[in-house]
Amino acid sequence: MQKKFARSFDSLGAIYAFTEEILASGNVEDAVRFPVHLAMEELFTNMVKYCPENDNEILLDVAVIDGCASIALTDYDVDPFDVTAPRVIEAELPIEGRIPGGLGLRLVQQMVDKLEYNYHDRQSTVRFTKGSG
Amino acid sequence: MFAIEFGENGDILCSGRLDASQCAKAQGFMDSVSGPSVLDFDQLEYISSAGLGILLKTQKRLVESGAALRRINVNHHIHDVFRYSGFHTIFEIEAQ
Repeated sequence: MQKKFARSFDSLGAIYAFTEEILASGNVEDAVRFPVHLAMEELFTNMVKYCPENDNEILLDVAVIDGCASIALTDYDVDPFDVTAPRVIEAELPIEGRIPGGLGLRLVQQMVDKLEYNYHDRQSTVRFTKGSG
Repeated sequence: MFAIEFGENGDILCSGRLDASQCAKAQGFMDSVSGPSVLDFDQLEYISSAGLGILLKTQKRLVESGAALRRINVNHHIHDVFRYSGFHTIFEIEAQ
């Protein structure tokens, strides 16, 4: 099921409700829903933060197949930004060396099963899957 | 819905979903915390990297003043988020 959402953090509540309804109807287990919602937020807010001047809505596509969630986010008229590029955080640094930011995509990469990025004609599509296995 | 308040015992009680849209509310509250404090996440269902950023910023400020956020009760999903982000090394965490 597809739906477009305004490029704003204020869309997060509606995105959660939209996604949760589909996951629930597909009997997706709780252990899958949490990382799906987290990855969804991190990827959506990443698109919002790095193209604030863009007025285009962001397309969300949510599907459930055999208990596995498949999500795609498509952003229009944007520069490329490969979310699958390796992100390193210094997880063992003492607090003095930590800086806020940069955690989101690292969390996505660690918590989903498969993460793909496609860019063409100034259109970015990020697709990820998360299943019970 | 996200809520944050002081409990009767002085602990900081968080509940609901702390996503990026709730960060201003959370940051405003945490900016008022000035001493050693206990964060109780027993009723917190969800946190994203935006919420982690607020916790890190607050912890750094408190540590510089000789205080700290001392303990956080977390569900297993949030515990995983802390572990993946390495926050388990800078916060005393008690998993449920």
